[in-house]
Amino acid sequence: MTPGQILLIAVALIAFGLTLRRGLPTAQRALRETGQTVVRVLPLLALALPMAAFLAELIPADIGSGLLGPESGLTGLVIASFAGGFIPGGPFVSFPLVLTFIKAGAGGPQVVALVSGWAILGFHRVIAWEWPVLGPRFILIRLIASIALPVLAGLLAELLLPSFPHALARP
Amino acid sequence: MLSFFRRNSSAVIIGAIGLLAGALVHQLRGPAAFRHALGNAADLFLVILPAMLAGLLLAGSLKQLVPTGVLARWMGAESGMRGLLLATVAGMAMPGGPMAAFPLVLVLAQGGADRGALIAFIVAWALNGLQRVLVWEVPLLGADFALLRFLCGLPLPFIAGVLARRVPIRWSPPGAGPA
Repeated sequence: MTPGQILLIAVALIAFGLTLRRGLPTAQRALRETGQTVVRVLPLLALALPMAAFLAELIPADIGSGLLGPESGLTGLVIASFAGGFIPGGPFVSFPLVLTFIKAGAGGPQVVALVSGWAILGFHRVIAWEWPVLGPRFILIRLIASIALPVLAGLLAELLLPSFPHALARP
Repeated sequence: MLSFFRRNSSAVIIGAIGLLAGALVHQLRGPAAFRHALGNAADLFLVILPAMLAGLLLAGSLKQLVPTGVLARWMGAESGMRGLLLATVAGMAMPGGPMAAFPLVLVLAQGGADRGALIAFIVAWALNGLQRVLVWEVPLLGADFALLRFLCGLPLPFIAGVLARRVPIRWSPPGAGPA
């Protein structure tokens, strides 16, 4: 178990302790909420992990190390940002897929741009949620304001990467 | 039958892609590679399970501790740089998926939050939502990478909010009068 995981467990137990102090019913609601999410998420995870593992076997290693490799520079950041925007689905799909790119040798800043592109641009989410709820003009404003941000995240990552030597410890 | 597919569309799509990819691996790379991939998936599952359960417990507890009505009040009347900062923090704290986030954005918009704050909120939620970072990113990609990615994302909602205020397109929230 990594220090990060231990920290997460400690923080979760503290937060749950705070709900207990608010009284037993609050803690029960928190537990019920947690249980419902676990029941919804675990089957997805059990399907998504084998999917990502199979895709990892199929994705040619040179995509990870070439197109999105550490040497791909600004071009790699731009490709990663927009490729991220086209990854469909929630975190249970995107993160196992991102993991396959890390294993295939993608560079740290490129992976940061990929995750940021998925989160910020996420075209499936724009079409499924943002358009119906907020309308096309709002989407236009938001995309104009944020289209370059995933690349910027990648550039920041290039600056910060030397301080994170274990960022891409390939599991 | 159809409603089952609609309710579980994510699982159906992931399962279908998984089956197809698994068949291809078996065909192209042989049974050994197939078993190797399944073994990898099982190992990963066991590694991330404890952190994921902890992350979900944290999200469930936070939902009880931070009522969403307070978030709306924080952002409603505020504007300026302080409004963007509050929207960024609120977006990061906002738990739940798009079915929870976008309706809240609409409520905030109708309550008077400006476009800069709304866009800062959306970008902060999508990029640095603490629930997603803790439940998915830390267990799957590792704490070091998650922290690096998080730090790189930290200024972005703010930048998006500042830029959005300068985009010369008129917009007023659906269901409200013309701005």
